[in-house]
Amino acid sequence: MQTSRTFLKRTRAGAVVKVVREHYLREDISCGAAACRRCTPCPAGPGRGLGLEAQPRGAASSLCPGPHYLLPDTNLLLHQIDILEDPVIKNVIVLQTVLQEVRNRSAPVYKRIRDVIQNPEKHFYSFTNEHHRETYIEQAQGETSNDRNDRAIRVAVKWYNEHLKKIEDEEKIQVIFLTNDRTNKEKALEEGITAYTCEEYIKSLIANPELVDRLACVSDEGKEIESGKIIFPEHIPLSKLQQGIKSGIYLQGTYRASRDNYLEATVWVHGDAEENKEIIIQGLKHLNRAVHEDIVAVELLAKDEWVAPSSIVLQDEGQNEDDIENEEEKENILKTSVNKDMLRPTGKVVGIIKRNWRPFCGMLSKSQIKEARRHLFTPADRRIPRIRIETRQADTLEGQRIIVAIDGWPRNSRYPNGHFVKNLGSAGDKETETEVLLLEHDVPHQPFSQAVLSFLPKMPWSITEQDMKYREDLRHLYVCSVDPPGCTDIDDALHCRELENGNIEVGVHIADVSHFIRPGNALDEESVKRGTTVYLCEKRIDMVPELLSSNLCSLRSNVDRLAFSCIWEMNPKAEILKTRFTKSIINSKASLTYAEAQMRIDSATMNDHITTSLRGLNKLAKILKKKRTDKGALTLSSPEVRFHMDSETHDPIDLQTKELKETNSMVEEFMLLANISVAQKIYDEFPEFALLRKHPAPPPSNYDILVKAAKSKNLEIKTDSAKALAESLDKAESPTFPYLNTLLRILTTRCMMQAVYFCSGMDNDFHHYGLASPIYTHFTSPIRRYADIIVHRLLAVAIGADSTYPELTDKHKLADMCKNLNYRHKMAQYAQRASVAFHTQLFFKNKGVVNEDAYILFVRKNAVVVLIPRYGLEGTVFFEEKDKPTPRLNYNSEVPSITVEDTTLCVFDKVKVNIILDASNIQHQKIRMVLVEPKILGNDVPADLSTEISSKSEPEKKKKKKLQK
Amino acid sequence: MDCTLCKEDLRVDGRGCEDYRCAEVETDVVSNTSGSARVKLGHTDILVGVKAEMGTPKLEKPDEGYLEFFVDCSANATPEFEGRGGEELGTEIANTLYRVFSSESSVDLKSLCINPREHCWVLYVDVLLLECGGNLFDAISIAVKAALFNTRIPKVRVLEDEEGSKEIELSDDPYDCIRLNVDDVPCIITLSKIGYRHVVDATLQEEACSLASLLISVTSKGALTSMKKMGKGSLDPESIFEMMETGKRVGKSLHIALQKILDEEESLGTSRQKVGFLG
Repeated sequence: MQTSRTFLKRTRAGAVVKVVREHYLREDISCGAAACRRCTPCPAGPGRGLGLEAQPRGAASSLCPGPHYLLPDTNLLLHQIDILEDPVIKNVIVLQTVLQEVRNRSAPVYKRIRDVIQNPEKHFYSFTNEHHRETYIEQAQGETSNDRNDRAIRVAVKWYNEHLKKIEDEEKIQVIFLTNDRTNKEKALEEGITAYTCEEYIKSLIANPELVDRLACVSDEGKEIESGKIIFPEHIPLSKLQQGIKSGIYLQGTYRASRDNYLEATVWVHGDAEENKEIIIQGLKHLNRAVHEDIVAVELLAKDEWVAPSSIVLQDEGQNEDDIENEEEKENILKTSVNKDMLRPTGKVVGIIKRNWRPFCGMLSKSQIKEARRHLFTPADRRIPRIRIETRQADTLEGQRIIVAIDGWPRNSRYPNGHFVKNLGSAGDKETETEVLLLEHDVPHQPFSQAVLSFLPKMPWSITEQDMKYREDLRHLYVCSVDPPGCTDIDDALHCRELENGNIEVGVHIADVSHFIRPGNALDEESVKRGTTVYLCEKRIDMVPELLSSNLCSLRSNVDRLAFSCIWEMNPKAEILKTRFTKSIINSKASLTYAEAQMRIDSATMNDHITTSLRGLNKLAKILKKKRTDKGALTLSSPEVRFHMDSETHDPIDLQTKELKETNSMVEEFMLLANISVAQKIYDEFPEFALLRKHPAPPPSNYDILVKAAKSKNLEIKTDSAKALAESLDKAESPTFPYLNTLLRILTTRCMMQAVYFCSGMDNDFHHYGLASPIYTHFTSPIRRYADIIVHRLLAVAIGADSTYPELTDKHKLADMCKNLNYRHKMAQYAQRASVAFHTQLFFKNKGVVNEDAYILFVRKNAVVVLIPRYGLEGTVFFEEKDKPTPRLNYNSEVPSITVEDTTLCVFDKVKVNIILDASNIQHQKIRMVLVEPKILGNDVPADLSTEISSKSEPEKKKKKKLQK
Repeated sequence: MDCTLCKEDLRVDGRGCEDYRCAEVETDVVSNTSGSARVKLGHTDILVGVKAEMGTPKLEKPDEGYLEFFVDCSANATPEFEGRGGEELGTEIANTLYRVFSSESSVDLKSLCINPREHCWVLYVDVLLLECGGNLFDAISIAVKAALFNTRIPKVRVLEDEEGSKEIELSDDPYDCIRLNVDDVPCIITLSKIGYRHVVDATLQEEACSLASLLISVTSKGALTSMKKMGKGSLDPESIFEMMETGKRVGKSLHIALQKILDEEESLGTSRQKVGFLG
């Protein structure tokens, strides 16, 4: 039977359109119940679950002891998806009406419920009630579409109950309607439908009391008023916000909470406005319940209320909710008098445009009150506020890493409300912590799906005639690879030989990953989603499946491999005479480590092909490097550490900073050259859609801290150009203080901007500041970076070795891809750092208390940040302690220095710190550093420790010098 | 041939001079319009659709909406319309319709205004000629009136905030709509002079015999709102006056009959079995 659905719609242009859809009703739609013989059994197949069980054996409920199916309404599904995903909940009917509403309102929940329906274990059944002749209803006069949908759901429940009655079975199966909507429930009861709220039903489950924890607490409006006073101003409704943004009263931006100070945040305003790009928000009321990454609307405060970003480190320690007065006190700390020109645009959050809540990892801070059910949850990410959850299993969850989702943040609550989702495992456990840091940094780390793996080449794999067609056979060349020890994904190899005319031929051969990953298939999609391989301390999360990364694409020695080669003809002055790109076949003669390669170059006895070729490369690389530095390329420094792992326990037993050899820079030099050559080639060929990498010059103000710090050591750093900076850094040496130069370089690194991928058609500034190159891209690591795969494809098209495809030449798609890649790279970097930090903690846990030399990197108002060169470890030394009287602190932003009691600490001062793993609070295991030398009155260090202090008196001397000044 | 018969008040098909052929009217036949009607008058077959769209009021009338007419002479109607054959006729009919219907006295144009100078409803009246069997104008006017009667315009609200910026909100309930008052919408009566007499609702043959015809629009109250002479022959003042009188008389009864049918159809509501194009 045909009917039509008519509805009115407003288009984006503002027109009102009447839309008419044909709608067909059927009588042969199965009810999905296995026991029903009246309906045709529902066809099983991919994308469908098994349907409802004949004898539903879900969790036993005291409310409805008989066999029953559940039928949730839309809101319930949206809010309580965590519960529905639990294996205990089975035999649920999901109506089409519900599914469509969910789809319109939340894409992630929709995806989750689709997954649940597909899971044969769960026995979820999606019933297409909108196309069933007896359950389809039309919107009645005076009924809103919401009411209509509610009615449609009730009609379906009623139909089900009647339909199931006809099954000839002793035990009648009941359909239970679950809704949290009070009026809907009342209406259902009136119509004779068994209806419960989610809470009622879950609480009635006899064997599963722990499920209650996972209930999202969506409190009724009425409930809020009774408890406590209102803390936060009301959020302005969305429609008003949008008008306000249009008229310019409010500004829309992304909210970014501060890591160091829970009472401060910045909002990055969207759009191209020059001024007020970055707005500071200070104080609990002004933050107004915004959570990190939310899209918010901000109102600017009057100029006389503007503040400067505070340099205070504040962590939310409060356990009690009623500490509002306390908070105000803390807020006042922020408002200490500051320099007039430090003031920045300041505003307050007036409303939320879009919440960006995700499930958060963290730990439970158990309430001090015994048998309390409400506890605070402390997320691992310090930018996320603590979340109040309700749980009865606090005892078991204590010390465990758990996942919690936020449900809402009422105006009278200091903290948002949430519910428990999942237990990851005990804190401090290596597996659990790795999982946490991967989750927290949004690193896709699930094993590759079958669909992805299906696109891998079949083993045993060999090079076919077909492959040879567009390739040059370079197997006769003496190609070798140089990599760090233990490297299994070798994506680059080199060769060098003298030509008859006296010139030198140098070749860089890169694994031809784009040969294996064809555009658009599942493998390609998964790789682009991952964007990069993530290297953790003892784990590698591959971007492409292992078969490719460690075998077929890896340019191992003595096997034939496909490569993409970039071959130059150079004269002995390292000037490029000719550049040529070709797909090729190579056979690497040796895979060396940096140390091995260095040894070959240095040892006079070795004169084989590989060694001579390495020497040639090394010679050229030195010239290239010199040229590059002359042009103003920066040599920066950031301390990198490597752990020596115990082979059995996999615990770190030693830390060491990475050592750089000549061969490191040799390989790097040729990779840079290849990247630049390829960048030029693809840009010439595709000026609109070349994927390039740029490194913008930092704004001059970024250097303030560096210039000030250098000045305190009587050194001048020029920052007007990269070249001037590089030169002044080279000159900044102190005979008495050899490490100073490294420290300055570390500081310089901190001043830099992030290098990013971009699409050449969408930007016009291509300059790479750090490398001092007008154009740059990534070509040399396609195994671990997706950007390189795209560059390979572009280059292959440019030289006619491969065919193009539509997405490759769509600059908007390319720009979107760049955005994702930049995000993934940043997250991978953060994950890497977090992994190092965790392993450092493990290391110090095993090592116990140690004293180490350190240098002050930054000075804050109430703390100093120090760097311990031996471990490449950075830490913050606080001068305020909870239960001790605060020492006199005097902060001088000009030098920058801080005077604690009578001791002045200045940037770059050498100090000695005491490193302890602060495991007293298992929630936040952290490395705590206490200043040992110079000694500060009142800052006690245990006596037995102070005896360990070495006799080096250098810091003492230094300090005196300063005092004389 | 006709001269003798007309004299006797008897026409080829047995009608009297002031008799209409049997007319069929059905409304709401095209679901994606705001209002529609189909009228069959003898062999003449007309489909009219009204589409309400939001637009900006005309400068000279800032507080009124307006109507737009478009006539499509389908080649199905007669082979002469093939290609651009029907264009001229279409424009002529559209111009006439504009004169007859688009005045404040026939449709309450002020009710079509949403907010002055900014938003109003524009009613696009599309006329489709499916078959030509004589007396096009009368049939079209009946169809237009029926379609306007059937028209439902979605209700919108104008929300205004403190800064004066306006936002238009559409009602969630599809039944929540405004109807047009069609009491004063006129119908066209064409009177064809044949010999010494005049007839209404001329068939194709009769039209071929007529040298001149008078087209008048009459409201349900019998008021004459416009008049147009067509054909190459001439009419003397005396017969013009006579024709006007006949037109008013016939028009009044036509309006009554039409309104009765429309009300009857309306009362059936959604339960009505639609005939549509298959009936």
